[in-house]
Amino acid sequence: MSADNSPVAVDDRPAPVDSGGLAGPGRPAAPSLIASSLRICELSLGQMIWSRRSVFLALLLGGPVVLAAAIRIVTATTPFWRFSINGARVGGPALFGMMMWLLYIRFIVPVLGVFYGTALIADEVEDKTITYLFTRPLPRGAVLIGKYLAYLACTVLLVLPSVVLVFFLIVPLGGGRIGEAFPALLIDLGMLAAGLIAYGAVFAWVGARLKRPLVIGLVFTFGWEPAVLLFPGYLKQLTVAYYLQALVPHAMPQDSAVSILMQVFREVPPAGTSLVYLAGIVAVALWFAARAVERREYVLEQ
Amino acid sequence: MTSKTRYFVIFSLSILIVGVGTGLTAYYVGFPAGAAAAAANDELRLVSSNATVVAYADVQKVMTSELRQRLRRALPNQENGRREFQNLTGINIETDITHVIAFVEPSAASGLPGAGMVLASGLFDETKIESLMREHGATVETYRDKRLIVAPQHARQAPPVNDGPAAGPVAAQPEFALAFLRPGLVAVGTAQSIRQAADLEHGGQNITDNAEIMNLIRSIDSGNAWAVGRFDALQSAAKLPPVLSQLPSITWFSITGQINETISGTLRAETRDDAAAKNLRDVMNGFLALARLQAGSKPELQTLAQSLQLGGTGKTVELSFVVPGAIFDLIESAGNQARQKQPAH
Repeated sequence: MSADNSPVAVDDRPAPVDSGGLAGPGRPAAPSLIASSLRICELSLGQMIWSRRSVFLALLLGGPVVLAAAIRIVTATTPFWRFSINGARVGGPALFGMMMWLLYIRFIVPVLGVFYGTALIADEVEDKTITYLFTRPLPRGAVLIGKYLAYLACTVLLVLPSVVLVFFLIVPLGGGRIGEAFPALLIDLGMLAAGLIAYGAVFAWVGARLKRPLVIGLVFTFGWEPAVLLFPGYLKQLTVAYYLQALVPHAMPQDSAVSILMQVFREVPPAGTSLVYLAGIVAVALWFAARAVERREYVLEQ
Repeated sequence: MTSKTRYFVIFSLSILIVGVGTGLTAYYVGFPAGAAAAAANDELRLVSSNATVVAYADVQKVMTSELRQRLRRALPNQENGRREFQNLTGINIETDITHVIAFVEPSAASGLPGAGMVLASGLFDETKIESLMREHGATVETYRDKRLIVAPQHARQAPPVNDGPAAGPVAAQPEFALAFLRPGLVAVGTAQSIRQAADLEHGGQNITDNAEIMNLIRSIDSGNAWAVGRFDALQSAAKLPPVLSQLPSITWFSITGQINETISGTLRAETRDDAAAKNLRDVMNGFLALARLQAGSKPELQTLAQSLQLGGTGKTVELSFVVPGAIFDLIESAGNQARQKQPAH
């Protein structure tokens, strides 16, 4: 690395793949894409979990659990008190459904996707540590895939237990039955995992390809997606939320005029179609992200 | 992976595995009885296992509620039915009964809801009630050690066509009867249903053996009135508008209400599958959105519209609501206006 303040271009030659490139006579063959990705994942998981960003993640995911515990405590300690919205009593399963929509589906999952997905490569560039990864005898794409897998492990291991805790705290309220609501919990867990996978892939691509990925990610999540979902037409098919919301087993809450409009113009694709589209989004986004990492010349500001 | 990270992964996975395991156990083992099932469990054993609709009301709480007083002022004519029942049976619904269980079961001939029975718990003067009914021509028969008081049978007249004469007797109404099955428990309904209930006192298949309907009853946690049943039975019995037949296929329904100053309740429908539930939720969402827009100009209706909350997961669709007492004031004022107009005609 140069000592002056000029930008440094990180080697943008095609990365060595398998036994090509750095492997020579007497040297062991370079690991495969999968092995390299898993190694990067293992390395990144610890860093990701114990990073400063995880404090934010803990607050984000601890919020619903604390809220659920508070509602449970108030219900248990105050006789005849029942949770109600606009005067109407709401049972545990319905309340859990609302929390899923308002906290997890509309906020936590996209936010995690934006903050972690865009940071997969951008953080390494910002910390000027990407050089160390790129000088290893690994396919460059494996760096992104490995970090993406670490992101998935980190977020899934934090989000799903949080949902399980909220489920057990909230569902028994007002006569709700754990056993009856359990199939919906399984669908919720699968749906949230699908959301994290899809948003993570999209924003990994954004982070690998574009400058200021965080701003673009936030605009996409809180500007583009809610806006196009409000209107009839085909634009909503260019969102992740359109396919993800089709998998939600709970009724959409009527929390605002915007929600009412969303319900009026809501078209729900079949669950199978949504899953196929989500898989397509993930495959395309990851392929483009890996390609961007392979080809892009990252300039490290000194 | 550092040991700290490993512990974190193990801890997270433990929560996930314990949670899913507990849920799975609850799903397969079953569920504890709800408050409603516990309150009426004894009487439920006298309800036929074929019942398609079962309802419960805490009569004392409903009758003493503020809402009942409002309704009484708004609809004074509604008192006639209560007086008629008292004249016939000697039972004052308002003071004698604490709670009732009612059910409807399909008639053997058509399969449509036919016979029904009301099991009322309370304090009854058995001798007085029996003698009053006998004065009205009732006969007493003994069935399984129970005294069955059977009211005189009247032939039903076919309704007159175009203001013409009645078309003559078409069918005999089922025998109306009353019996004290236990101290403080009176059964009122068709004689056939009461004989069946007397049989069930000595054992046999009753509604508590009907898993589908009992699951619905168990899910009711609170409320001083509720009803559960098969939706097709409700459709044919209540003659619901044909537009309701276009709704995504509903199999079961339940409604729970807490009646005091307002009626707050939850209407719950179970559909054939998840897709039907999703469709029903979408239809309901559309209606609710329109209702909210329509209710904008009337504050009383606005409160009702704002209270409507749609929920439900999987095959279940839930609608929570609060009917404010002010709605009944509207009925009262409408009734007063109608009464003021009447002398002019």
